[in-house]
Amino acid sequence: MTALGLISRWVHLGAGVFLVGTFAFLLLAGRSDRPTALTWERGLLRWTRWAAGLLLLSGLLSLSYQAAVVTGHFGDALSASTMLRLISATQFGTVWLLRHGLLLLLAAVILLREREDSGWDWAAFRGEGILLGATGLGLMAWAGHAAAVEPWGLAATGADALHLLAVGVWLGGLGPLCLLLRMAGQPAGADARPFAVLAARSFSQVAFVAMLTLAATGVWNSWHQVGNFASLAGTRYGRLLLLKLGLLLPIVALAAVNRLRLLPALSGEVDAVGRPAMRRLALFVGIELALGAAILAVVILMASTPPGRHTQPWWPFPSRLTYPPPHELPGTGTRLLIGSQVALVGLLGAVAGWFLGWRRRLVVSVAAAVLLAGLGIALPPLVVEAYPTTYRRSPVPYHAASIADGRHLYTTHCATCHGPAGRGDGPAAGGLPRRSVDLTDPHLAHHTAGDLFWWVTHGIPGSGMPGFGGRLSEGERWDVVNFLRTLSAVARARALSEVVEPARPWLAAPDFTYAVGPGAQRSLKDFRGRRVVLLVLFTLPDSRPRLSELARNYDILQTMGAEVVAVPADRQERIISRLGPAPRILFPVVTEGGSEVAETYFLFRVPPASGTEAPSHVEFLIDRQGYLRARWTLDGKGWTEMTALLAEIQQLNQEETTAPPPEEHVH
Amino acid sequence: MKLWKAIVLLNLAVGVGLLIGYLWWGREVARLRQETTRSLQAAVASGEERQWTVRGVVRSVIPEINVLVLTHEEIPGFMPSMTMGFRTATPQLYNGLEVGDRIRFTLKGVPPNVTIVAITREGKS
Repeated sequence: MTALGLISRWVHLGAGVFLVGTFAFLLLAGRSDRPTALTWERGLLRWTRWAAGLLLLSGLLSLSYQAAVVTGHFGDALSASTMLRLISATQFGTVWLLRHGLLLLLAAVILLREREDSGWDWAAFRGEGILLGATGLGLMAWAGHAAAVEPWGLAATGADALHLLAVGVWLGGLGPLCLLLRMAGQPAGADARPFAVLAARSFSQVAFVAMLTLAATGVWNSWHQVGNFASLAGTRYGRLLLLKLGLLLPIVALAAVNRLRLLPALSGEVDAVGRPAMRRLALFVGIELALGAAILAVVILMASTPPGRHTQPWWPFPSRLTYPPPHELPGTGTRLLIGSQVALVGLLGAVAGWFLGWRRRLVVSVAAAVLLAGLGIALPPLVVEAYPTTYRRSPVPYHAASIADGRHLYTTHCATCHGPAGRGDGPAAGGLPRRSVDLTDPHLAHHTAGDLFWWVTHGIPGSGMPGFGGRLSEGERWDVVNFLRTLSAVARARALSEVVEPARPWLAAPDFTYAVGPGAQRSLKDFRGRRVVLLVLFTLPDSRPRLSELARNYDILQTMGAEVVAVPADRQERIISRLGPAPRILFPVVTEGGSEVAETYFLFRVPPASGTEAPSHVEFLIDRQGYLRARWTLDGKGWTEMTALLAEIQQLNQEETTAPPPEEHVH
Repeated sequence: MKLWKAIVLLNLAVGVGLLIGYLWWGREVARLRQETTRSLQAAVASGEERQWTVRGVVRSVIPEINVLVLTHEEIPGFMPSMTMGFRTATPQLYNGLEVGDRIRFTLKGVPPNVTIVAITREGKS
């Protein structure tokens, strides 16, 4: 059933391409009164009737297949009511209806054509064939993956439609060209030879333009649907795309031979050069056509596969390249510099050797060797181990709830070796075959979240690090990864102070969700693009005077575009009652979700000097993009002066938004 | 009829058909949008007296002006969840209320002139 559905889609696409290409080729080739050319044209037009019938039939089959796909029951493939609903209630249906209306007209025009009395009739018929066929083909883009691209929907769909049209003109024209060349390549068809040569030449020009269009729109589409190298190599969609490109290579090679060698030879001396060249050209065009049909089959598979960008890549190689180099060994920088320069010399040499042409083969091969040697010097330090999950994106957002859960899991399962603060100094660390890693080390940032996930899941052989795949669920392991990322962030957060660094956001604030009493659930993200957030972690009773001070200035803070969110750091219950009536506090005091926020954000406190107590009151300024920009503790002087706090908020207000908002997931 | 004339006619017919279809679709969209706005507006600006009972938490009591400041949940068709002051019908209503009390209160009036007419305590926050 699935096979039948896919085959009908393939036939549908193939017939559409054939119709557009044939009419375009007929128009391109021009009129001829030679008997062979007329026979060829009659034959082609007979074929267009079959193609039109096939197009409509396969369209109907595709609709019934889609009905089965949408509902998930194969029985619905024949249910008229499901198909009717599909047509009336979905974009796929609207596009289908519009397309098949046009295709029905096309079939009618092809079948009802009686005779052509003049040049006008001749051109009108072929032009109408192109117009209806191309509209029918191009509209397919509005029912494909491109129509779902955000936010560049129209551009992506337009590019896809252009891609389809270019395929129609190029691939669809190969069939008529092959047939014409074969007929004119026979001794009996010699009368049509000049016609065939001219047609082949003009088609070559058009096909070249079509190829360029295909390349440009193809790259644009792939970028939208695949997006990165990991998705290209690690997803089904990406691999189908690679297969498509693999099929395209011989086509391009053949096309180059045809255009550069065979096409000029066509006009050579007939028996010795011209006719053999024409036959060979016919053969090569036939091979191109067969490969093109195979590409269409791959395309059909791609159209029914979720695009690589939206699926999790499974990295197939044991290593990957990364920059900057992961291990700062002495001499790495020098090695990179020398290697890259040698490679550059090799590359320039190869290009120059190719174009200058002096002893081309020798020069180019020497230059290529130099290029490879340069890469051999420069690349090894950049190679790091990689795992199937290396490019996995975390399905769990970088959110206080996940970080707090991750922290609990870490304390239970990891702290024995890695230490309570992740410094690799746990009580059991001494007995391990290898020193346990300092998880706050900056080099951890060179590893992807997927790497960490792999290690947490499968352990590290020979190091004493066990795998937790059997003990923790997938979500829990991602929680641990989120916590590890927070540890790195905390290490970097030492650089935060009570002064905003102008226009330099670099530390993503973990999102959180909270509510005040029965009020609506809000999250930090709700303030994106709207307000600066002053996040206050407080402890009663020490913080009460500071909260009253903030409450007195709440009007001004709000006027300056800031919102205050106060989170109790220790005891959460009955917090508003405990704050008491006077002086009045009207800004949001979190009563639900506060413990997770406090647990996560207390990690970002200034690391206390040994012997001093950790601060019990911390305030953070979070900018409109969602970055942590400044931090102040009650011990410091700084924001005790309200004007100092207002000045920092004003600084954030005056900033132009430079950085995009931080990503929702760690990586 | 000549073939080319027939084709030109056909194209004209298709073009006009598509144009009419498109225009009809555009009007339909505009009509639906208007209908939505109208029904949304009708909910608030009806000029009739209305009544809601929703939950809130007391943030401040200001007896001098007979006002209770509450963080309340959404008041359907009137206002989203927020912290704001409401007038009370009688001072007795907030007698004994403290900051942090969770309450269920009844608002009554012709929006936007509404007052609290009843309060029940549910706990502390």
